[in-house]
Amino acid sequence: MSRGAQTLQAGPIELPDGPPPRREVVTSAREVVAQISDGQAVAIGGFVTANHPMPLVRELIRQGKKDLTVIGSATGGLEIDLLLGAGVVRKLIAPYCGAELYAPLGSCFRTMVEREQVELWESSEYILYAGLQAKAMGQEFMAWRGGIGSSIVDLNPDLKVFPSPLGDGKEYVAVPAISPDWAFLHLGWADSYGNGQHPGARFGDRIMARAADRVALTVERLVPNARIRANPVMTSVPYADAVVVAPYGSHPYASHGFYAEDAGHIEAYVRATAGFRRGDRSGLDAYLEKYVFGPDTQDDYLDLVGGRTLRALEAEYEHLTLGRHAFDVFGG
Amino acid sequence: MTATADATTGQPAGAQPADTQPASWKETMAVFLARQIRDTDRICSGAHTEISFAATMLAQKMHAPNLKLQLGGGAFLCNVADVEVDELPKTSVDYRIMGWAEAYFEHHDTFNHYGPPGGRDYYENTDRWRSTNKYFFADKFFVGGIQVDRHGNANLIGTGKDGHFTFRGPGSVGINDVTTVRDAYVFMTAHDRQRFVMASDYVSMPGPKTYREKDLMGNGPQFIVSPRCVFDFSGPDQTAALAGLFPGHTEEEVAEHTSWDIVRSPHFVDIAPPSATELRILRTAIDRKGVLQK
Repeated sequence: MSRGAQTLQAGPIELPDGPPPRREVVTSAREVVAQISDGQAVAIGGFVTANHPMPLVRELIRQGKKDLTVIGSATGGLEIDLLLGAGVVRKLIAPYCGAELYAPLGSCFRTMVEREQVELWESSEYILYAGLQAKAMGQEFMAWRGGIGSSIVDLNPDLKVFPSPLGDGKEYVAVPAISPDWAFLHLGWADSYGNGQHPGARFGDRIMARAADRVALTVERLVPNARIRANPVMTSVPYADAVVVAPYGSHPYASHGFYAEDAGHIEAYVRATAGFRRGDRSGLDAYLEKYVFGPDTQDDYLDLVGGRTLRALEAEYEHLTLGRHAFDVFGG
Repeated sequence: MTATADATTGQPAGAQPADTQPASWKETMAVFLARQIRDTDRICSGAHTEISFAATMLAQKMHAPNLKLQLGGGAFLCNVADVEVDELPKTSVDYRIMGWAEAYFEHHDTFNHYGPPGGRDYYENTDRWRSTNKYFFADKFFVGGIQVDRHGNANLIGTGKDGHFTFRGPGSVGINDVTTVRDAYVFMTAHDRQRFVMASDYVSMPGPKTYREKDLMGNGPQFIVSPRCVFDFSGPDQTAALAGLFPGHTEEEVAEHTSWDIVRSPHFVDIAPPSATELRILRTAIDRKGVLQK
């Protein structure tokens, strides 16, 4: 016998009350975030302006978490900038934080990196994925050629350059495992057992889910298990630890299969945070007060945004995708 | 329900009532393995063996509806607790497995589930991590062998030496890759001195002593299961010790068919035969065609 190995069950297992029920994991953003301790590592899924689990992101700020390591997507969006500005992040693992044409760089990100108010774990897209993959595979590191000859390996002392053992004189980067305590992801739908499906692009969500110790999903819809079984190939995140039912849960960002990003809201955020570089937090604080601390629930948040805006974003998505709405395309 | 089964009982046509025909050795092994599965285990029943397929599906139906079960290499996460199973799959990519699945991922993505939640702490404080819901490959895994030795080194590669073969087996397949599996069960479908040897010619999965020496993350083999008996491992060299006898088998008989000296494990138990309920559910809800009775 060694660590934790069990003794033999010699006879039948007696269960007078019958087998236990299957575990259901539907819960609230508040209860998920209450399980996060200060200093833990949280990966935030999605990509640039799409599929960010915003009820969980806002709840991290609302509950005043501190010293988090935040792991952004390979192209992190302004949801990371918001977390930085709100002061919940001690260390950031993300190759990029911005919104491309809306904002080349997040204002809080740029300012806090320049002033060394956040510890930036310098990386690149595949260095991020290699670290997540090492954790997902139960290895200490992954070997990768990318980064050799660049400044990334100088800026990040955790990345170790080593000579190839094959004797060809080449150098490799050892990318150590990146270990999220939680991954927060936004998917189209899930069942109550935590089986989640993406009706559109999956970005880097699957490797984040596989690397994380625990996974929480925000989803547009809760669906019956039969709906998941009808197309198990689509189940990108099996058995999440928590499912938070949150229609419009990616707003102000897009949710593939449902609605477009809210350009007006994103532009307003960019304007609100423009003063941050000059040491003026007032715009950011006003945004936090209105959209994060103000609304108690996701429904209250949606009331602020307004039904008219949300319907317009759905219409824009339908227009942009020629009406191939997720529920039509994928048998919903 | 198939055309050859009785419409009211689901039994193969012409078979005796489900719980009166004595259990076959395959059924006894399947029921035994099902009993070892806990409700929150995560298990891969990978390459096809009808016994481990039946064991894991039986556990899900009888007492472990929360078992996260990867059936087949290709990588289907299945739950059959409330799903009708018409017969055991014929291969590990049998299309009916898709009908029991809640998720499918590419085979190479299987390896992205080898890291346990909590990393190394998973093995030290397993109960702390049982509350996590995600799939991990795996708490238990069934490893075949054409040979197994007294230190639990399993060999699926072949017999011979110095890179030559007198008999070529299936090869290691994916067995040497599963270094993070918590508890492996070396699973032998025949038990004689050709198979239960002092030292395996080749090693596809090293025994628990090597797991410790090489600091592989998992525990390595924790049991050897044969149609006659079960061994566990004890002592600094992690040597096989007799941990259980299947009904109708004796220590003397095991000694006769095993190359190493038999020592009883401190955890020795007599294994109870399949109960009427276990056999009935196995025969009417999992193995309706009686594959395990042949």
